[in-house]
Amino acid sequence: MSDYLFVQSQDPFTDARASHQYDLAARLADSGNQVRVLLVQNGVAPARKGAACPAFDALLGSTVKVLADDVALRQREFAPEHLRDGVQAAELGVVVDAMLAGHKVIWN
Amino acid sequence: MNNNSINNSMTKTLTFAFMDPPFEHERTITFFRLLDSALEKNANVRVFAYEGAVALAFARQQPHGNAVHSRDTEAEKHPLTKDWIAALQSKAKDKGLAFEWINCGLCVDERGVNEAIDGCARGGPADFWRYASTAHNTLTIGTR
Repeated sequence: MSDYLFVQSQDPFTDARASHQYDLAARLADSGNQVRVLLVQNGVAPARKGAACPAFDALLGSTVKVLADDVALRQREFAPEHLRDGVQAAELGVVVDAMLAGHKVIWN
Repeated sequence: MNNNSINNSMTKTLTFAFMDPPFEHERTITFFRLLDSALEKNANVRVFAYEGAVALAFARQQPHGNAVHSRDTEAEKHPLTKDWIAALQSKAKDKGLAFEWINCGLCVDERGVNEAIDGCARGGPADFWRYASTAHNTLTIGTR
């Protein structure tokens, strides 16, 4: 089994493939891999409370750990109370940490 | 190397491939933040820039003012990616880390951006293979 980190820059409201990217992450986790998704740039859009996105709901319902770049959140006026349950703010450095740990890091 | 040198056989090298041009997309900012983070975490950095990204190191980039907001060049402080690269080179040097940058030569020729700042070399896809195959890990940031 492997450790994956997907850097998710695409958002489901403008990029149709984002929902498939979420699904791939969830399936990898279902197969026993350790999977994290870091939302960056407009990829943080579905993490706001009230955002309607069944594909993102499914991702949050999986065992995938969902993180969101704190800078991207601040740029878009996301306060902590605006984040959906299951999404955790994180520093971009988690990407470098994962690379240094030898994890599979994939840019979406 | 200087007295702050930390580079040794235990220092890991990370490779990044990037294709976005300067001044267009938020990806460029995220990319530079990643490079800075890698140096902060004491990793050697190698960059293979291809397609539009070869202009990131173009030496003839010029700052400009913003007449709409009544700001001259100095007040506008327009950020230039060549300066960000130079800052990362300086940071790496101060920390005793390696910071290498290769532009795809074909992509450079297509765009006429041959004049790169010091420390940014010309190469080709084989260099990316060499970078990736000898690095601890590699991240390719595709445009789409």
